Amino acid sequence: MAESLTSRPTLAAADAQQANAHIDADTNTGISNTKLGMWLFLASECLLFGGLITTYLLYKHPLEGPTPHEIFDIPFTSTSSFVLLMSSLTMVLAVSAIERGEHQRMRVWIGATAVLGATFIAGQIYEFTVFVREGLGFTTSRFSSAFYTLTGFHGIHVTIGIIMLVSLVLLSLRGKIPEHRAETVEIVGLYWHFVDVVWVVIFAVVYLIPS
Amino acid sequence: MALTEDRPLALPSGGSDDGYTPTGVFTRPTAETGVRSWFTTVDHKKIGIMYGAAAIFFLIIGGSEALLIRMQLWAPRGTLLSANLYNQVYTMHGTTMVFLVVMPIGAAFANYLIPLQIGARDVAFPRINAFSFWAFLFGGVFINSSWLLGGGADGGWFMYAPNSGVIFSPTHGIDFWNLGLIITGIASLTGAVNLIVTVLNMRAPGMTLMRMPIFTWMALVSQFLLLFAIPVLTSAQVLLMLDRGFHANFFNVSKGANPLLWEHLFWIFGHPEVYLMILPAFGLVSDILPTFARKPIFGYPFIVFSGIAIGFMGWGVWAHHMFVSGIGPISVTTFSLTTMFIAVPTGVKILNWTATMWGGKLKFSSPMLFSIGLVTMFTIGGLSGVMHSVAPMDSQQTDTYFIVAHFHYVLFGGAFFGFVGGFYFYWPKAFGYMLNESLGKANFWLMLLGFNLTFAPMHVLGLQGMSRRIYTYDPGYGFEFWNKVATIGAFTLASSIALFVFNIFYSRAKAKNLPPVGPDPWDARTIEWMIPSPTPAYNFDPIPTVTRVDDFWYRKYGETKDGKLVRIASTAEVAQQRTDGKGIHLPSPSYWPLVLAFGLPIAAYGLIFSLWLALVGAIIVVGAIYGWVMEPPDDPDKAHDDHGPDAHVSDGGDAAVPETVDAVKEVETVG
Amino acid sequence: MTVTSHDNVPTTVLDGAVKDYSRDKVYVLTALFLGVVTLVEIATYAFPDFPVWADELVVPVLMILMAVKFFTIVYVFMHLKFDKPILTKLFYMGLVLAVLVYIAMLSTFRIWYHGHHG
Repeated sequence: MAESLTSRPTLAAADAQQANAHIDADTNTGISNTKLGMWLFLASECLLFGGLITTYLLYKHPLEGPTPHEIFDIPFTSTSSFVLLMSSLTMVLAVSAIERGEHQRMRVWIGATAVLGATFIAGQIYEFTVFVREGLGFTTSRFSSAFYTLTGFHGIHVTIGIIMLVSLVLLSLRGKIPEHRAETVEIVGLYWHFVDVVWVVIFAVVYLIPS
Repeated sequence: MALTEDRPLALPSGGSDDGYTPTGVFTRPTAETGVRSWFTTVDHKKIGIMYGAAAIFFLIIGGSEALLIRMQLWAPRGTLLSANLYNQVYTMHGTTMVFLVVMPIGAAFANYLIPLQIGARDVAFPRINAFSFWAFLFGGVFINSSWLLGGGADGGWFMYAPNSGVIFSPTHGIDFWNLGLIITGIASLTGAVNLIVTVLNMRAPGMTLMRMPIFTWMALVSQFLLLFAIPVLTSAQVLLMLDRGFHANFFNVSKGANPLLWEHLFWIFGHPEVYLMILPAFGLVSDILPTFARKPIFGYPFIVFSGIAIGFMGWGVWAHHMFVSGIGPISVTTFSLTTMFIAVPTGVKILNWTATMWGGKLKFSSPMLFSIGLVTMFTIGGLSGVMHSVAPMDSQQTDTYFIVAHFHYVLFGGAFFGFVGGFYFYWPKAFGYMLNESLGKANFWLMLLGFNLTFAPMHVLGLQGMSRRIYTYDPGYGFEFWNKVATIGAFTLASSIALFVFNIFYSRAKAKNLPPVGPDPWDARTIEWMIPSPTPAYNFDPIPTVTRVDDFWYRKYGETKDGKLVRIASTAEVAQQRTDGKGIHLPSPSYWPLVLAFGLPIAAYGLIFSLWLALVGAIIVVGAIYGWVMEPPDDPDKAHDDHGPDAHVSDGGDAAVPETVDAVKEVETVG
Repeated sequence: MTVTSHDNVPTTVLDGAVKDYSRDKVYVLTALFLGVVTLVEIATYAFPDFPVWADELVVPVLMILMAVKFFTIVYVFMHLKFDKPILTKLFYMGLVLAVLVYIAMLSTFRIWYHGHHG
């Protein structure tokens, strides 16, 4: 222990001479702060949606009013699920485009993603109005409250995603997304894929599992 | 981290601001001192101080509520508070102390100390950091504004369903509680993401995870607990909000709802919550004890891994709060066992602290006294906690004062003693003057006395069968004497807090005639003590290179062959000099975090009173987000935007990184 | 291609994420795969008597298909396959915690028993 003392800088000023005192690698992990932050946020979102899905599973058998499988229109929901699934493809192609520096192509793919997302939301609104007309109001039963809350919460997430995508296109048109900030697109993409992944779970757990 | 620039960049006050208004609303704020600088600051040190000040403000509110409770219970058939008001007072006392005092004091230390202890210039997302603070403050004010708008929440701090429904609590108190805690939850969540990224990404050269000071470790674990626990509470609170505001059926028993849903969700959040409150205090004590014992912490890896173990196991014990709720024998047995197991890592910590002091040259300064206070008082609280893992015993004690005694021993005797010790310890680093030692010692003994007078009798009261949350008791059950003792204790405790506040102002006045404290008044061990006091805006210049745990100590001391400590350098030699900070790039202040946070309570008032107001709040929030995004993170040099929340230049390739940093990365993938 | 960038900073290391054009093909094939899996999922509804998922088996089959889709998206589209392992670890920490905690909670409600209707 004693001999190692001389070989290390003890004086504060010596730190400035250390070979690694001015490294330009920006982070310890090699991952940007923003991306790491987004992944942490998504990990935390698992617990949020988990709570709502659990609530749904607990309450899916109503005491009164329509039951899930009397009311679900599986072919319709399958179509809108498919639309959301394909929006993940267009999103990832947008990320791929901006990383090659193809701005116009990136904007087209992001636009396509936003349109697919909006189609999904339109489908959800249509689905909700049909359900309400068939007698499943928000306050009808424990099932209806849990169902609307879970799917509505997801719908809000998709809507926020669409707003972010549109903002990205506008920013890009103003030249605010040069290649070295391509990661912004990737990070919005992470959010978008996560929302899609949540719907993968909801589609199987809520819609497809027979009662 | 690319924060050190070779060209002269301006500090925020550099005056190079050309009046550029990114969204046409605000000129970029530039003030570095004065009131305005506090509103727009993104400096983690100022934000940490504001967290602490706000927490002390709420402590006074929550403490006054506690005194009201104790005055009501001074004698049988007390008439100071009505049953209804008593319900509100204890609910708000618990809520305030947990969410607005203990958690933010933890956040205050984490904000102030983490960047200093890992050798960073600031946190990863400085503006989000400011937002977290403002959202917490506005959320806290929002909850307390219920007192003026129809009365506080009255369902107890864990707000069990169906008591929290509109039928049983028709005033808006619970709405304020619910929406306010959603806001502070957003604050905690963003803060957690921010601090975790800071620790993982922004450590100084050589500062591997296993060389970090223990406070940083424990704060990291508690931020992970926040990250995963807060969304569980938020999901439960969204359900409650929809029930109360929009007639959903989540807790409506007549439609087949199960009130245990709330209990489960709340305690899945609630148990990690108690650990995330105590862990930062554990961390502070683990840094204070070695300093005053002049010995390294005993078993650094054990302390670290037991902290991580507590973090993980804290997720598997929640139902021990629910033994009498009818969850069934299998669940009760399972959670009994997990609760017994979680005592093990806690015991490891107690052992490590004791062994750290063993054979050390103990110096009983105020921080040390408070730390020993934590070790002893927390042990008592821990022991009564293990008793609760035994289900038959727990069933007897549920909802009695024994439980109240237990959690005050862990949260006040544990967390709060540690925090006050931390205040005494870090005061010179933050403010440049020492708190008076004699007053500090008096403060400690008065607090220890008051604390035990207040809460030790509650063990007896609980075992005698006195229920908590009942606004009065009848004479003749043997409750009178111990209740009087507890009330006297509560006022003693209050006077010790008053003494602490007095000490702050007294010492500050006296300090004008004293020499400056210098960087290292305690002869301490970790690198935050090598920088000038009070901490300069840029923290470190240059960033130190760390080679081991307690790096600063081993810059001052070496060991002879037979293990004797030898001083090898004076503090003046190894400490950093205050520089003018030229050439150090710091993030620029901003109005947007404040504006964004301000929109949240507006929207929440709207949800209670009028949806139009909610729309206004929502517009403020959305506008602030766009303002934020359009504002370059660092105004004075627009091209240089590499560490804001929404911009990043990844120019590092692995090739340019020297060897030591590769070592950092290896550890990284393990952690 | 119009390049509207004001800077001419070249595209450099993007955290090990996508760099080459050929990966687009992988993405399209992945999407096709996801589409096929979704069709199988829908088939469990359309043809409930198909022997692979008749009666009791439909729930496990659906859960497996769901997990396949979930991890395919997370690995390929969200780049966990190409990115630093720490991201996978952090995300799985949240995911695994959520699954374990909520399954434990549902178990205390005895929700898995036959005839459970609350």
